[in-house]
Amino acid sequence: MKFLCVPCDSPMKLQTVGPPERGSLSIVYSCPECGYEIAMLTNAYETQAVQSLGVRIGPETSRAEVSADAGSSAAGCPFASMIPATEDTQRGQVADATPVRWTAAAEARLANVPAFVRPMAKAGIERYARDNGCLEVDEKILEAAREFFGM
Amino acid sequence: MKGYHDIVGDGGSGILEQVAEQRSRIADGLAGVRHLVAVGSGKGGVGKSTLTLHLAGALRARGLRIAILDADFNGPSQARMAGVQEALFVPGAHKVSLPRSRNGIAVFSMGSVIPESEALDFQSTAHGESHTWRATREFALLGEILASFEWGTLDLLMFDLPPGAERTVQYADFLGPRTSFLLVTIPSEVARGVVARSVAALSKGPSRLLGYVENMSGYYCRDCNAIKPLFDADRGRPADLRIPCLGTVPFDPELARQCDQGLPLAELPNTPVGRALDHVAQQLLDSLESTREPSR
Repeated sequence: MKFLCVPCDSPMKLQTVGPPERGSLSIVYSCPECGYEIAMLTNAYETQAVQSLGVRIGPETSRAEVSADAGSSAAGCPFASMIPATEDTQRGQVADATPVRWTAAAEARLANVPAFVRPMAKAGIERYARDNGCLEVDEKILEAAREFFGM
Repeated sequence: MKGYHDIVGDGGSGILEQVAEQRSRIADGLAGVRHLVAVGSGKGGVGKSTLTLHLAGALRARGLRIAILDADFNGPSQARMAGVQEALFVPGAHKVSLPRSRNGIAVFSMGSVIPESEALDFQSTAHGESHTWRATREFALLGEILASFEWGTLDLLMFDLPPGAERTVQYADFLGPRTSFLLVTIPSEVARGVVARSVAALSKGPSRLLGYVENMSGYYCRDCNAIKPLFDADRGRPADLRIPCLGTVPFDPELARQCDQGLPLAELPNTPVGRALDHVAQQLLDSLESTREPSR
């Protein structure tokens, strides 16, 4: 969908996307020529239809920020809330009391894991690290886990 | 006044660019895969998943590099049958490594992610309207899986499709002309009728139809060491699906029991079922090699 400022005959630019409120997104566009602003307010079905494509709505800069944050949070992924919060998928986070650190390089690799399997991947690797007497996950541990599980 | 096509981009989100990027990531991820084969039917309960796993096993026994993507997200069974229900997903430098079965088949199945007591669910802003968006979301998920996991260099990537003739066609649309289709039926007129509809629907598109396998074609009685009829149609005329028959595979209760436990059947190659699967595997390879790969 594109928006045109008719008086200026100029394509409008996406400025901000408000957080979803009862299924509705508030998406503000402005004309780079005259500064006129409009807001597109979606209904729940429209919001859902776009989200189902697995794409993100927002200016390019905010999409990049979400992408960079992917290692620490699953919030940016369209599938983040797909898996029911079961005891099984969270067992590692809940049951294992000893905290395990992640090096920056290992965390960067964790960001490659799709958000819908990231919690269980993280918990499983931490369990593997503990079982092998390590309280820090680094790239060596990840490689060892790959080898151990025949990957 | 400018029209839609006079304006470059969409002013912000770049939806089309994001979709194109997803497509590009999928193509990159599958670049090392020689053959993509979707195992479908249209009919449920004909043994697509079991046949997929055992065909993969027969191909693996020939030294081929094989992976299975269980595309039945709502009723995944490959994780249990391949023994990867407790799989660990380990991130590599760029992609996520796939768990492997005991005989070395790489397997992705939602059954490794969601316990059998839970259903696949998506967060939604449009409550009670899932029929309008659910299929779109499932295909976006399939794209994410294809793009994120490490398929690497493979001889075959097999897709275990969900039931439903319309779903089979949707997968053909999504996977594109690189993917060939193997259909599964059983010796029942009802099943053959549904599979015939799938053949008709798939024939309208560019996907290659390699042929079909008649599964549960009799059953293997271990006491008698003989194949006995399972359906009336076993005694009747063969299926006329207008595509090649790549073989018939009898039902083996022992094999079904082992599948439930996620155990490979060591003695399989020496049974009539094992020999039938090996024959189908050879027919499948011959068919793939004899069909020219379409341009990408």
